[in-house]
Amino acid sequence: MQVEKFYYDNKIVKNFAYATVFWGAIGMLVGLWASLQLVFPSLNFSEYGTFGRLRPLHTNAVIFAFVGNGIFMGVYYSLQRLCKARMYSDTLSKIHFWGWQAIIAAAAITLPLGLTSGKEYAELEWPIDIAITLIWVVFGWNMFATILKRRERHLYVAIWFYIATFVTVAVLHVVNSFELPFTMFKSYSWYSGVQDALVQWWYGHNAVAFFLTTPYLGLMYYYLPKAANRPVYSYKLSIIHFWSLIFLYIWAGPHHLLYTALPNWAQSLGVVFSVMLIFPSWGGMINGLLTLRGAWDRVRDDVILKFMVVAVTAYGMATFEGPMLSLKSVSAISHYTDWIVAHVHVGGLGWNGMLTFGILYWLIPRIFGTTLYSRKLAGTHFWLATLGIIFYAVPLYWAGLTQSSMWKQFTESGQLKYSFLETVTYMEPFYAMRSFGGFLYLVGALIMGYNLIKTAKQGKLIANEPAEAAPLVKLVENDKKEHWHHKLERKPVKMLIGSLIVILIGGIIEFVPTFLVKSNIPTISSVKPYTPLELQGRDLYVREGCYTCHSQMIRPFRSETERYGEYSKAGEFIYDFPFQWGSKRIGPDLAREGAGNLKKTDGWHFRHFRDPQSISAGSIMPAYPFLLTNELDTAITPAKIRAMQTLGVPYPKGYDKIANKDLMDQANGIVKNLLADSIKVAPTKEVIALIAYMQRLGTDISKPE
Amino acid sequence: MFKFIKQYTETIANAEIYPIISLLIFFIFFVLLTVYVFSMKKNTVKILSEIPLNDQNESGTNQ
Repeated sequence: MQVEKFYYDNKIVKNFAYATVFWGAIGMLVGLWASLQLVFPSLNFSEYGTFGRLRPLHTNAVIFAFVGNGIFMGVYYSLQRLCKARMYSDTLSKIHFWGWQAIIAAAAITLPLGLTSGKEYAELEWPIDIAITLIWVVFGWNMFATILKRRERHLYVAIWFYIATFVTVAVLHVVNSFELPFTMFKSYSWYSGVQDALVQWWYGHNAVAFFLTTPYLGLMYYYLPKAANRPVYSYKLSIIHFWSLIFLYIWAGPHHLLYTALPNWAQSLGVVFSVMLIFPSWGGMINGLLTLRGAWDRVRDDVILKFMVVAVTAYGMATFEGPMLSLKSVSAISHYTDWIVAHVHVGGLGWNGMLTFGILYWLIPRIFGTTLYSRKLAGTHFWLATLGIIFYAVPLYWAGLTQSSMWKQFTESGQLKYSFLETVTYMEPFYAMRSFGGFLYLVGALIMGYNLIKTAKQGKLIANEPAEAAPLVKLVENDKKEHWHHKLERKPVKMLIGSLIVILIGGIIEFVPTFLVKSNIPTISSVKPYTPLELQGRDLYVREGCYTCHSQMIRPFRSETERYGEYSKAGEFIYDFPFQWGSKRIGPDLAREGAGNLKKTDGWHFRHFRDPQSISAGSIMPAYPFLLTNELDTAITPAKIRAMQTLGVPYPKGYDKIANKDLMDQANGIVKNLLADSIKVAPTKEVIALIAYMQRLGTDISKPE
Repeated sequence: MFKFIKQYTETIANAEIYPIISLLIFFIFFVLLTVYVFSMKKNTVKILSEIPLNDQNESGTNQ
C-alpha cells in the first residue's frame, strides 16, 4: 500500500518542555520560600507574600504549571507517534500552549493579591475557571481530532489514560467550580458546609488521581518501554490497571474527611474504595518495574532509567501509604499533621517530579537531534533529587507522628500535657530539615535546566520531524467474531463515553444522598446567618488563606474536645460558602475560637493580628499589620448579601439595603471594646471585621436557648 | 447539645441499598473485565504492546 509522508510537530513539544522546566523551578522556589516562612516567620514581610497566600501559589504552580505542562509535553510527543499522525491543528496546539501559560500567569498574579475561592487546589477565581474550561476543551478537541485521523488502528493503553484524564478533569473542574460571582473577580461557592466539603474533596482527591496520576501512568506506559527499549511487561495487566484504577479512584474522596461532620456512610464508602485502590495501583507499579526485566543491568548506567525507577517506586510507596492513611484509625493520628505533607511530596517529588525529569532527559536530545550535553550532571541531578526527597520526607514523617502524639498526650491528672504552641516550637528543627531537602531538590532541577539548555544549544530543533506510514483502510468485512473490547480500542469516542460512565457512578452514589436527603445534615435551630460584619470578616479569612494553617473542624476525640470544645456538627456549617474546614493544623483549630475557654478579648485579637509573637512567644504566624490600616470595602456589602440570599441564606427581604447600618453598629461596638483596652482604631478598618468573625466562631451552639 | 439538632433520628431511607448497588456494579464490572483479559489472543497482545516501539523513523540517539 502507498505510504503517506507527514511530519511530527516537535516545536509544540519543545515549548511545553521549556514551560515545564521554567514553572517547575518557580513552583519549587515558592514552595521552598513558604517552608522557610515556617522556620523564620519574619520572611512574611509583605501583604502579598504571607504564607497563607504563597502556599496556594506553590500548590497551584507545581500541580497545574509544572505537572500540567509536563503532561502536555509528554502527550503531544507520544500521541503523535502512537497515532502515526501530526497533531490535528497547529493553531489549536498554539492556543492551548499560550492559553495555559496565560492561565498560569493569571494565577501567579491573582493568588498573591488574595483573589481566591478558598477551596484547596481550586483556589483560582471564576474568570480563570472559565478560561481553564475553554483551554481544556481546546486540548481535548486537538487530541480527539488527532486520534480520529490516526494511521494506527488500535489505541495503545497510554492513549486510554489520556482520554480518561481529559474527560474526568473536565467533569471535576466544572462540578467543583460552580460558584456565584458577585464582582468581576470574586465569587461564592455554590455549595456550603458539608456538601461543599464533599464536592471539594471529591475534586481534591481526584485532582491527585486524574491530574497527577492517570496522565503520568499514560506517560509511564509510553516512555518507560521507550527508554528500556522493550514492551511493557504485561499488556493484559495494563488493561485491568486502567479500568480498575479509574473505577475505584473516583470514590475515594471522603477519606479526606474521616471523623468530620460528613455523614458516616459516606466516610465508610470512601475508606472501602481507598483500601481497594491498592490493587490497581500496585498492579501498575509492578507492570512498570517488571518492564525492566532482563534489563536491570542497564539501570546502573542509564540515568534516564534511574529517574524512572525511582519514580515508579515512589508511586508504589505513595499508593501503599494512601490506603493505609485512609483507615479511620490511622487517619485519627495522621490527619492535620505533617505526615500528610510528607506523603504528598513522596508522590509529587518522587512520582511526578522524577518521571518528568526522566522524560525530559530522554526527549530533549531527540527533538534536537543530538545527545545529552552532560550525563555526569544528569547523574548529579539524580542524586540531589533522590536525597532531596529523603531529606524532605523523613523529618516530616517524624514531625507529624510526634506532633500528633503531643496533641493527644494527657497528664496523670487528666489535663492536656502540651499547649498547642509547645507542639509548634517542637516542629522547628524538622521544618528546617525539610527546607534543606526542598533546597537540594530545587538545586537539582536548576542543574537539569542548565544541562537541557546546553543540550538544545549543541543541537538544532527538528521542528517538523518527517515520518511515513500507511493510511488506515476501512475494514471491509466486519469481523463478527471480534471481541467487543477490541472494537472499543479502535473507537476513541466510545472509550470516552465508557470512561465517563465509569467515573460518574462513584460520584453520583456519593453526591445524590448527601444533597437530597435532609437528615444527612441535621439543621440546628440556633445556627443563624452571619452578620454583615462577620460575613465581611469571613471573606477576609478566606482572602488571607487562613485555612492553609487553621482547621475549623473538631473531631470527636477527647484530646480535641478538651482542647477546642464540643466536636463539630454538620448543621453548624450550612451558611459557610465556601466551607473552611482546612486540612492542616500548623496553627490550632478555630472552630470555637469565639466560645467557651478559647474566647479572647477583642484587644487580644487586635494585638495578635498586629504582632502574633508579642502575644504568643514562639508563634510562627505571620503578622498582619496591613489589616490595621486597610479600609474595609463596605460598598460591596449589599452585593454580598444579595449573593448569599440567592444561595439560600435567609436574610430578610431588602436586607441588602440596610446591612451596612448593622455592620457599622457592630463595628462601633468592637471599637468601643478596644478603646477600653486603650487601643484606638477606626471602625472601618479590615481588622475589625476579622475580629467580629473570630468572636462569632463556634458561638452558635453554645448560646443559652 | 442534641437539643439543638432537629431531625436527629431521621435516617436515609433504605441506606443499605447504596453499598449493595456499589458492590454489584463493582463485582460485575470486574468479572467481565477479567473474563475479557483472559480471553485475549496472545498474538494480539503482542502486537498491541509493541505499538510504542514500532517507531521506525526514530531520530536522535539515546543520550
